[in-house]
Amino acid sequence: MNQPADIEIRHVTKCYSRGGQTLRVLDELDMQMAGGTFYALMGPSGSGKTTLLNLVGGLDTADQGEVVIAGENIAQLSSGQLARWRANNVGFVFQGFNLLPVLTARENVELPLLLAPINRRQRRAQAERALELVGLSDRMNHKPSELSGGQEQRVAIARAIATAPSVILADEPTGDLDRVTADQVLELLQLLNQQLKKTILMVTHDPRAASFADKIVHLDKGKLGRIDDNPTRPATAGR
Amino acid sequence: MPIKLMLRNVLAHPLRALLTIGSVMVAVFLITLLHAAVAGLDATLQQASANRLLVQSAVSLFVDLPLSYQQKIAAVKGVEAICKWQWFGGRYEQDKGGFFAQFGVDHDTFLLSYPEIEIAEGSAAGFTTERTACIVGCDLAAKYGWKLDQTVPIAGTIFQRTDGKPWEFVIRAIYRSSKTSIDQNTMYFHYDYLRESLETGGARGPEGVGVYMLRVLPSTDTLQLASAVDALFENGPQRVQTTTEAEFNRQFVSMLGDVPGLLKLIGSAVLFAIFFAVLNTMIMAGRERTRDSGVLKALGFGNLVVGGMLVFEGLLVCGLGAIAGAAVVKLLEAPFQAILSARLPGFAFSTQSLLLGCGLAMLIGLVSGIVPGLRVARLTTVQALREVD
Ligand SMILES: Nc1ncnc2c1ncn2[C@@H]1O[C@H](COP(=O)(O)OP(=O)(O)OP(=O)(O)O)[C@@H](O)[C@H]1O
Ligand SMILES: [Mg+2]
Repeated sequence: MNQPADIEIRHVTKCYSRGGQTLRVLDELDMQMAGGTFYALMGPSGSGKTTLLNLVGGLDTADQGEVVIAGENIAQLSSGQLARWRANNVGFVFQGFNLLPVLTARENVELPLLLAPINRRQRRAQAERALELVGLSDRMNHKPSELSGGQEQRVAIARAIATAPSVILADEPTGDLDRVTADQVLELLQLLNQQLKKTILMVTHDPRAASFADKIVHLDKGKLGRIDDNPTRPATAGR
Repeated sequence: MPIKLMLRNVLAHPLRALLTIGSVMVAVFLITLLHAAVAGLDATLQQASANRLLVQSAVSLFVDLPLSYQQKIAAVKGVEAICKWQWFGGRYEQDKGGFFAQFGVDHDTFLLSYPEIEIAEGSAAGFTTERTACIVGCDLAAKYGWKLDQTVPIAGTIFQRTDGKPWEFVIRAIYRSSKTSIDQNTMYFHYDYLRESLETGGARGPEGVGVYMLRVLPSTDTLQLASAVDALFENGPQRVQTTTEAEFNRQFVSMLGDVPGLLKLIGSAVLFAIFFAVLNTMIMAGRERTRDSGVLKALGFGNLVVGGMLVFEGLLVCGLGAIAGAAVVKLLEAPFQAILSARLPGFAFSTQSLLLGCGLAMLIGLVSGIVPGLRVARLTTVQALREVD
């Protein structure tokens, strides 16, 4: 098991140009997140949450500043290096699940493992273990279209943890789910954080979802507001 | 597994895949067929005799040459025999709607000059010794149920009898042909019969000769002979053009239009249509899978892999189409050859043209895959993921 990975954002600026105008989405943002902690990232729509998440996950590159994950400054990596870095260090969970429709649950989970130096049998075993962890051992051979939304998101979480990354990034993972299934997914994330010491950064609009996290980060107009300890953690979390 | 993923993507739309494979299959078959037809046409023209030359008006095949030319041409060194051909253009009384060719020829040199003509019924002497005799092809005789020694009434169009009655020819021989240079659907009669009728006032029509056929003595330079004949009439009264039989046939075929060119044009048009169909399908597939491509990139797959999957998909679909096309070619080879061998003896499906068809199919697949492949490879992960479907 990897060491819990710290996330450090130093003077990060990200701009988009649209119609001749430059939009400064993140403005010299500084931020420190401790490894092994579950963060909820909140803020009004358009405040730059997804943009920040993409920078941390190496899906996009900052115009200025440094993004340091577990001691490595990923802002300096080329796109090919970034792709390799992503395969080893982060797992993504998206609002729309983003499973490949033509593959079964197990094959979807196996997908990121194709880039790992392991053989077929190991790959299969690792995928099955991840699916077991999310409670879907009995749905391995189902296609996404044969699963419920909550089950799909759990498969996506299994895919995100299959390569044993130290960081999990989730962009509104419960946005498309009802309350009961949302709670299941959030509890699962909590479990990954507590038992496997994953650093989790989860974007959410829902205060209830945020209440599952250890700390809540407020982002507003590309500036960091504050980081709160979560005062309302449900007793079930058992901390 | 990217291969498995690719296969699943193809199989996700079985009808679409089948239609694409089917159209590539048709294209491969058509390319091979058209190629075989062009090659067949060419080989058929090549069957022409090397020791026959044809002298026609330099202006056009439709302009007659003077009768007086015959003696001068016959005197040129290397000419073994000479035979007039004159287009008669008559209509068979019993079948006004039908058409077959009739020619007036020199009865004494015609059969000698065309050894591919074999007498099936009657005799050569029967044809040569009687002024109104004719020889007809066996296919033509079979078509109208003609028997030997039967009289056939032909109404003149270019050459009309002054008494208003049709011309009458007696069938004294029926021939088969062993080569395509002479077909089995033509009637030949004595040119002298025509000429005498014109001279005695029994008929009206142009006096002259359509074409002089020269039979060349062995070991004669035909090209030199041809230019010698052309030189004879360089200063008129009518200039001539002397060509080999093969060249003459080629010009005759091209009078109907540039047949090989037309076939090639059709082939190219088919290829283009199929190309755009496959390209369209692959672009559609690429668009549908933009978000999937984004997911793969987010998971750490490189641009080359993500774009390459579409390229391989294009190659796979077109490859399957090519295999299906090759199977169809093999399946239809025998029946096609059986049907066409009479008309186009050179017609044959060649492995070469099949390979050409398959190669073009793969090229179509490659280009059709590269276009959407490049697009998804170039999209950033964030752009690809944002795509809503
Ligand atoms: N590719 C882009 N080109 C131009 N502008 C963009 C692009 N991506 C994002 N933006 C703009 O940047 C700003 C921040 O976008 P971002 O997606 O990070 O917001 P968000 O906080 O995630 O919002 P939401 O809560 O609605 O998801 C928005 O104003 C958005 O319109
Ligand atoms: Mg967002």
